[in-house]
Amino acid sequence: MSDTDQRTPPVAPPAEEAKSGRPGRSAALRTPRTYAWAAFAILLLALPFYLDRFWLQAGLFAMAAAIAAIGLNLLTGATGQLSMGHAFFLAVGAYSYCVLAADPVTENGHTLTGFGLPGWIAVVLAVGISGIAGGLFSPIAGRLRGAYLGIATLALIFIGQHVLFNASNLTGGFNGRSVPPLSLFGITFDDSQTLVGGIPFESAEKLWYVALAALLFCAFFARGVLRGRPGRAMNAIRDHRIAAGVMGVPVARYRASVFVLSSMYAGGAGVLLALVFQRTVPEYFGMILSLEFLAMIVIGGLGSVRGAVIGAAFVSLLPQLLTRYSESLPLVTAPGTGAGGIAPGEASRYLYGAAVVAVVLFLPGGLSRLRFPNLRSIRSTRTPRKGSK
Amino acid sequence: MKARTVRKNSRARAAVLATALALTLGVTGCSSKAGTGSEGKEDEKGVRVGDGITDKTIPLGALTDLTGVYASLGKSITQAQQLWAKEVNAAGGICGRKVELVVRDHGYDPQKAVSAYTELEPKVAGFVQFIGSPFVAAVKQRVDGQDKGLVLPQAWSASLLGSPSIRTIGTTYDIETINAIDFLLTQKKITKGDRIGHVYFEGDYGENALQGSKYAAEKAGLTIVEQKIKPTDNDMSAQVAALKQAGVKAIVVSAGPRQAASLVGVAAAGRFGVPVIGNNSAFAPQILATPAGPALMKNYHVASPSLPIGSPEPGPAKLAKDYAAAYPKDDLDNGVVAGYSAGKVYGEALTKACADKNLTREGIGKALLTMKSYENGFGITHDFSDPKAPSTRQSVIMQPDSKTPGGLKVVQEPTASKAAEEFTFGE
Repeated sequence: MSDTDQRTPPVAPPAEEAKSGRPGRSAALRTPRTYAWAAFAILLLALPFYLDRFWLQAGLFAMAAAIAAIGLNLLTGATGQLSMGHAFFLAVGAYSYCVLAADPVTENGHTLTGFGLPGWIAVVLAVGISGIAGGLFSPIAGRLRGAYLGIATLALIFIGQHVLFNASNLTGGFNGRSVPPLSLFGITFDDSQTLVGGIPFESAEKLWYVALAALLFCAFFARGVLRGRPGRAMNAIRDHRIAAGVMGVPVARYRASVFVLSSMYAGGAGVLLALVFQRTVPEYFGMILSLEFLAMIVIGGLGSVRGAVIGAAFVSLLPQLLTRYSESLPLVTAPGTGAGGIAPGEASRYLYGAAVVAVVLFLPGGLSRLRFPNLRSIRSTRTPRKGSK
Repeated sequence: MKARTVRKNSRARAAVLATALALTLGVTGCSSKAGTGSEGKEDEKGVRVGDGITDKTIPLGALTDLTGVYASLGKSITQAQQLWAKEVNAAGGICGRKVELVVRDHGYDPQKAVSAYTELEPKVAGFVQFIGSPFVAAVKQRVDGQDKGLVLPQAWSASLLGSPSIRTIGTTYDIETINAIDFLLTQKKITKGDRIGHVYFEGDYGENALQGSKYAAEKAGLTIVEQKIKPTDNDMSAQVAALKQAGVKAIVVSAGPRQAASLVGVAAAGRFGVPVIGNNSAFAPQILATPAGPALMKNYHVASPSLPIGSPEPGPAKLAKDYAAAYPKDDLDNGVVAGYSAGKVYGEALTKACADKNLTREGIGKALLTMKSYENGFGITHDFSDPKAPSTRQSVIMQPDSKTPGGLKVVQEPTASKAAEEFTFGE
């Protein structure tokens, strides 16, 4: 858990300090922080060589969730627009990729539409289609604010579920459709084994690097948006809509654009999730997923990329960890043994709930406000920095 | 000053580089992932054993739902399988090894289900339980492609047929529905030219059943009046009104127990006492305690791929006794029979594979294919030799009865209707 807690864009702080040139390259090199980040980056790159598929898959789920959570944090955390429909855009991305990249096949009596496009074009188009879906919703997204938008977007979930179950020529219906593997630079990200340094690389190992690159790109892009002019406009809309309008921020246009951008993030995350799952299942893209994304940004910290990534890691990894190890907890009995005590699945849910409550109670700003004391003291004495917001 | 910084800089950089290099070189050296391929090693008795199986145990995975929508079914199946494992081990185990169930609760969540499969796959010989056909479909590619572990899903949709490693036990929903309609015909409750209603769940359970009812209707000259519902719809008043309007002579239910109870109860209250027949998933003993209980006992029938737990036959009777002794607080329902039969089938396949001295995953799959007429004590003979067809085409027709344990008594012994025998899969 300790390594995943800090799954923030690994190279971000040193790069920023180097670019702004404030304390200078040498100062950055002198802080232990830089080395901690470098070590962390190397660790992330080396993980596929050591971890088994279960852990890699958990990490991949977390990374996909992180991309979606960054998108939602742009919308909800930075602009103050609540969205309950994030899962819908994940579904749009995931299914668009399947439809575009797959060859037409007949499965379980459904003739599935497929365009057979190369994988990378399908990815780009799928993200684009999610953006367009967000754009179609923008007349509503631009006009409604806060909780009202939340209720409007709730409709998307129900429409989405209905379409996913019934448009079986596109979606495969209840049992979903299989996801064609991604091909990039002559590498196919499927389960065929490739030996890298004596280690058999299957889909999880190969996808790990794609996911890392995608997450890094998404994190930097969002950071750029948040730290620049658009980010300030978004925060102004969140904090005082009328004041923002008076200052010349086109409120409706900004709201609509942020909604489109966050849909594209969700679409990208949907594609990645589909690649990890190897099959899209409509059941997954429901209300609970949307709520989980909201939980991620609240737990991680509203309005920042780091918060979204930490929250995503926390929310997607903790239940998996607890489910896997709950059997060794006290008072927990193996299911079906008939003895008293709670089942492992229940125990993991209680613990997860308790952890969420604890974070919200004791770290109201989210997990991203958690600092490691030694790093902080060194940094505060050597490189004084303004608060993060 | 500057020179010192530069030197320090380059030294630091060199250090980072060296560490990185050392790490990448060391990577392959001490990773446990290098050099797998334990497939097919032989133990001292000359039996080739596959992944997951040790000298002492045969671990079997059970991917179940103990906290989600199928929690009560998952609990019964899991406990019945624990009971099976205990019995097998008490009788000396299989191939000199103890059977050990590794249970993971996915709570009907796709992400948890796929993760749990990924976690257990390298550790177990196969899966004796896997609840949730969408999740089985999600890992199907991996099971068929590389993992090859025998999976016995607790889902009876025809969409799962065709895989050499994923084998359903008993009739699929389409066959079961055909047999159910045939029962109504032979009992003279409906005749040619009649309209019958079909209330079914959105999703593969309901839609698979609908394929069956349409086929049966075509054969017998009936007309189907469709009513599609969602698993969240609990009140069937609207459906009953629509079916009454359409003048149906009987109703088929491919939904959950709650929907069946509501349907029968509402119809009886509105003096619309047509016979209603459901699939095996459309009954739970708990619904007999509801106000719809008397109407259910009068108008309702259930088709099922095995004898009910309350049957006086030796197989179910012994299981009911043992289960009640092991889990005195829990209800007896048909999940108990389903879970226990799956365990017995797996055990038989393992025993045969052991006799063939091939306890690899392929060996277990092949052993199951040789089981052409397997009778597991629950009334139905299974034929596992064709992965493209269900293991049987016979269904038992049962009637709710509050006096029998499990709430169901047999009214028609296992039979396969002519239409069910002629039905072809995968068109």
